[in-house]
Amino acid sequence: MLAKTRSYALSGIDGYEVLIEVDLNSGLPSYDTVGLADTAVKESKERVRSAIKNSLYPYPVRKITINLAPADVKKEGSQFDLAIALGILIASEAAECKDYKDYIVLGELSLDGSINHVKGVMPLIIAALQDGHKKFIIPSANAKEASFISGIEVYAFDKLNQVVDFLSGKSQVEPLKTSEFSGAKAENKYGVDFKEVKGQYVAKRALEIAVAGGHNVLMIGPPGAGKTMMAKCVPTIMPDMTFEEAIEVTKIHSVAGILDNSVGIVATRPFRTPHHTATVPALMGGGSNARPGEISLAHNGVLFLDEMPEYQRRTLETLRQPLEDGMAVVSRAKQTLEYPARFMLVASMNPCPCGNLGSSTQQCKCTPGEIHRYISKLSGPLLDRIDLQIEVDAVSYEDFRSTIPDEDSATIKARVEKARAIQRERYKGTKTKTNDEMTNAQLKKYCALDAEGEKLLKNAFTRLNLTARATSRVLKVARTIADLEGDEKILAKHVAEAVQYRSLDRKYWD
Amino acid sequence: MLREYDNDAKALIMLSCLQSYNARKKAYESTDKPSKLYKDYADADKIIKECEKRGIGILTILDKEYPEKLANIYDPPYVIYFKGNLSLINRPRKIAVVGTRKMTVYGKNILANFIPKFVESGLVIVSGLARGVDSVGHRLCLDLGGDTIAVVANGLDICYPPENLSLEEEIVSRGLVISEYPLGSKSLQYHFPERNRIISALSDGVFIPEAGEKSGSLITADYALEQGRELFVVPGSIFSTASKGCNAKIRELQATCVLTPEDVTDALGVYSQDSPARYVQLNLEQQSVMELLKDGSKHFYDLIVGAGMSTGQLSSILTELEIMGLIRKIQGNFYEIVPTL
Repeated sequence: MLAKTRSYALSGIDGYEVLIEVDLNSGLPSYDTVGLADTAVKESKERVRSAIKNSLYPYPVRKITINLAPADVKKEGSQFDLAIALGILIASEAAECKDYKDYIVLGELSLDGSINHVKGVMPLIIAALQDGHKKFIIPSANAKEASFISGIEVYAFDKLNQVVDFLSGKSQVEPLKTSEFSGAKAENKYGVDFKEVKGQYVAKRALEIAVAGGHNVLMIGPPGAGKTMMAKCVPTIMPDMTFEEAIEVTKIHSVAGILDNSVGIVATRPFRTPHHTATVPALMGGGSNARPGEISLAHNGVLFLDEMPEYQRRTLETLRQPLEDGMAVVSRAKQTLEYPARFMLVASMNPCPCGNLGSSTQQCKCTPGEIHRYISKLSGPLLDRIDLQIEVDAVSYEDFRSTIPDEDSATIKARVEKARAIQRERYKGTKTKTNDEMTNAQLKKYCALDAEGEKLLKNAFTRLNLTARATSRVLKVARTIADLEGDEKILAKHVAEAVQYRSLDRKYWD
Repeated sequence: MLREYDNDAKALIMLSCLQSYNARKKAYESTDKPSKLYKDYADADKIIKECEKRGIGILTILDKEYPEKLANIYDPPYVIYFKGNLSLINRPRKIAVVGTRKMTVYGKNILANFIPKFVESGLVIVSGLARGVDSVGHRLCLDLGGDTIAVVANGLDICYPPENLSLEEEIVSRGLVISEYPLGSKSLQYHFPERNRIISALSDGVFIPEAGEKSGSLITADYALEQGRELFVVPGSIFSTASKGCNAKIRELQATCVLTPEDVTDALGVYSQDSPARYVQLNLEQQSVMELLKDGSKHFYDLIVGAGMSTGQLSSILTELEIMGLIRKIQGNFYEIVPTL
């Protein structure tokens, strides 16, 4: 007899339907999987057999053929186990199941018949929902992430025999209740706050501007100046994620298998810090078992590159295209995968290899050649994408006994959200979301300067040796500063402040 | 620029390809006519063709444009390869500006105050295109519209240090770059002291703003004394390693200790009209920031506390003052008033 069950497989962060056909033939007992199954799928043979046996069902002593359709696409992952086991049980008439064809079945089997957690449940369900499927059988371990999708019936199980009992009508199971997103949001915790960063007003102000306008930032400063600490605080002043944003992020994290199953959704903005030995596939995604890279895991959040010039130049250069269009495109001979990667880049670097250039207390031991090589690791086109470049210094707060209270993240966030609201209104109906993404036409329209501002910008270029490519960067940042202050027009003072955040264009690196 | 070369010139060009200066000198002095040295000038023709292709001119010691000052030293280069405006080489008043490759802020301040005066007085700035004092000297001179000559220690098809490529190109278009080494010569270690003798020979005086104990510019200083050029050094702090060389020259009474640009221009007999002092009108906020910076450099935090402004407000005022050239940002978010004499 022939049985057909349905499951879903991942392609990037989208899914496609896989029809699992199980046929039992007469002949010497054997078990064959066809349909371009990779190792994990082929190995399901042993898991399925033990799981069926240990769930006290008879295992058919027949020639078993399993086809995974479409047969010409490579299948990866272990999520077909449960669907295959059901197919075998139904085909061998060990279980009498009705309506099983309505269900999309996802789950990995354990030898004792229990159902294990699988990767990518949320994206698979969303893809199936778009294809018109409404009923799902998934592992209990994945229940939380599935519960955030409304308009579907999801049944979560722990054991193979529970699934069989449910499908044969021996037991009644209630579908999962939909979880409210606001519930997950209440657990929103970053564990850091800007009020813990003492002093550093320039850097804090620059980060506020960066977040408000969606700009990328580079912090330059000696070791121990607090660059990492401040970078960690950046997500705390970013506007809360909307449900749509959270779903986008959760899909990626689910595919990567790093989703916290007890929460089931990523409600806080991701903060990713890949090590500087990271390879191109680790950053961009891909590999033999395609997986989203660090830049996609940082989608809607922050990608922090500590000690940026220490990264391989090739690795850094691959960032250029995702920074431009918010997508990581991984092309392989067989397929091209796309992972969303719209992140805010926060990078840090030392002023020189030893870190002491310009320090008032330490002597720099680097030769000019070394410093030049260090700085030139960051190519012009890459730096072009970083609007704000600021200096962070290791001056201790106590030295200055500042009387200015340190603001907490919530206060800064409120200002950021106001500036973002202005931008949303301005770019209504266009693809642009923040000032950073402004097109040239929009730049002309929204960043017009008055005579005074024009004069200041021109003087800044001649007197402070700014490079020509800095113009549009300065204007975009000035636009954000004006938005933060609620000014409709960019004034000279906004331009003047923006110029302060172009450290790399000036100064010791000449 | 195309010119005919006679056999004497061609012989000198071939001579210039000899590795060591002593070999060149021996060959040159062994005969009264260089053309007797060689029978076949194919090699010279090749070099001339290659130079013409690259827009490089060749000047030999036999040419009438060859500067007398250079010809009169003990060991003149027999051939000079050049790119740019050759007429600069015979301009009457030239000053060499050389010094440490690792310049401090002090050195930059000196150059920022001295070079404009030199340019105003019509002095041609001669230097070596090296990192540090040399490049800043060239750069300032070009920015002020002055004339400058770079004497490099390698063939003119190579740029060393590589980061000065754009600077070199600018000097070629508005000034002069020369070298005694034929195309393809790398900047070997012993080329640098050899090159220094040309820098000092071309100039009327050698000005050293900053030089460490073992700075190559001290070799130029020694040449200056040997060739009878004026040597000007600026004293520095006794604790500063970048000024050790300068201070030593003063202690040994070998150099004129200069404190103002006029000390140099007066000694060289060049004068410029006094440019009227510049007055700028500051608003209240700018004034209060300037007031705070009066007694030394201040950190951004100090200014915030002192001026009682918001971060954004202070940032824009600092930019305005920077643009006026009154203050500047130094490393680590410190600001200071630009020192002027």
